[in-house]
Amino acid sequence: MPVKVVEEWLNSCSGCEISILNLGDTLLDLLPELNFVHIPVLIDHKYYGQTGESDVIEIPEADIGIVSGGVRNEEHKHVLEETRKKTKILIALGSCAAHGGIPAQANMYTNKDIFEKLFRGSPSTDPASDPNHPNVPQWLDSCLALDEVVEVDVTIPGCPPHPDWIAEALTALLEGKTSWSLPERSVCDTCPVIREKKSAAGPVRRCFENLEFNPEEGLDKMRCINEQGFLCLGPVTLAGCAGKEGVPRCIQARTPCRGCFGPIRKGARPMVDMMGAMSSVGLDPKTVVDRRAIMNRYIGGHGNLRPLPARPARK
Amino acid sequence: MEKEFEPKIVAFCCNWCSYLAADSAGMARNQYPSNVHIIRCMCSGMVHPNFVIDALTKGLADGVMVCGCHPGDCHYQDGNKRAESRSEAIFLMLEDFGLEQERFRLEWISASEGQKFAGVSGEMTQTLKELGPNFYKS
Repeated sequence: MPVKVVEEWLNSCSGCEISILNLGDTLLDLLPELNFVHIPVLIDHKYYGQTGESDVIEIPEADIGIVSGGVRNEEHKHVLEETRKKTKILIALGSCAAHGGIPAQANMYTNKDIFEKLFRGSPSTDPASDPNHPNVPQWLDSCLALDEVVEVDVTIPGCPPHPDWIAEALTALLEGKTSWSLPERSVCDTCPVIREKKSAAGPVRRCFENLEFNPEEGLDKMRCINEQGFLCLGPVTLAGCAGKEGVPRCIQARTPCRGCFGPIRKGARPMVDMMGAMSSVGLDPKTVVDRRAIMNRYIGGHGNLRPLPARPARK
Repeated sequence: MEKEFEPKIVAFCCNWCSYLAADSAGMARNQYPSNVHIIRCMCSGMVHPNFVIDALTKGLADGVMVCGCHPGDCHYQDGNKRAESRSEAIFLMLEDFGLEQERFRLEWISASEGQKFAGVSGEMTQTLKELGPNFYKS
């Protein structure tokens, strides 16, 4: 009998769902064993009955729940809690679900500041008041990862997660396992570039400059991006963006790692670790522009980013 | 009456100088505030920035001191130099985490300077009392 699956998207862009479809042939192999009973991205299924007749949210019972996206407002929270109630195993799919993702960069500001900027502060906007229609869900205080709201059994990070890992996790669950996790390796562990252990000097170079490499030659002839003086988040980022094997995707494109898989170990603080890694290469963290946002690009949840307290100017 | 705010200070003291300084402060009956909680470690150079940042951002402490031997006196030759270069990174991280620079202090205290240890502890406690509780405590 096929396993029932509920798929839900919250504060996300649908990239993770596309990654599911991107499984390709593997998806065809898996499909006979999966029965998607609710997946609003692909199949029409309404929350309050097909004609809106019900006033209680209705998500079908299922064995596996897959949720992508973080939790930004009351609606997300409600849907997530309902999904958790109806499913036996909950998968957090993608970096937004796992760590807050790009939208969680807003955690650097208070909701008041954000609304002020959105509805009144920007020069191209006609000033308006904050939305207060009862059908518009209220924002939560910050953008949360799923495990800050409910219990999560399996986490598949990535922006988007690689189909290999989705397939592996689903297969493991179909086999009856109740947990699965990515191997704890850093991007550097899977990166083929040359490390000369010589320090770079001077301020950190920004992404507007090109790396030094010979396009004719392979990546194993290119020098480490950090050693070239750029900020590459490889040392503090979980490996796996290129699937089970293969060179990390950003490195393949000869650009620095942006850190989309999040911290290597749960609870690690990539920003603190990265500053240590930078000083061992000889880069000066002081010269990174917008340091806080760049080092927490995908991991603003879990309290990694928060508004700085207002305090009197230093003497 | 509202109770006065009592800051909690974590002091990482190296085994060879600063811990003995705290000891000698005790033996010489130099009074220092009970706000200081000493953690003995082998060298100030082993105090990873993570320890300091965790103590502050997990809301465990209001301030952190790292105390080591005077430059040149280090039992391990250059451990305290390492502590010094780490402290630069720590100050930077404090800024990123929205904490006041005064919440961290690096001090060189030799084994005979019990008086200095008591003095530094007192100063730090006073500064933190003025600053108020760590924002991450709430």
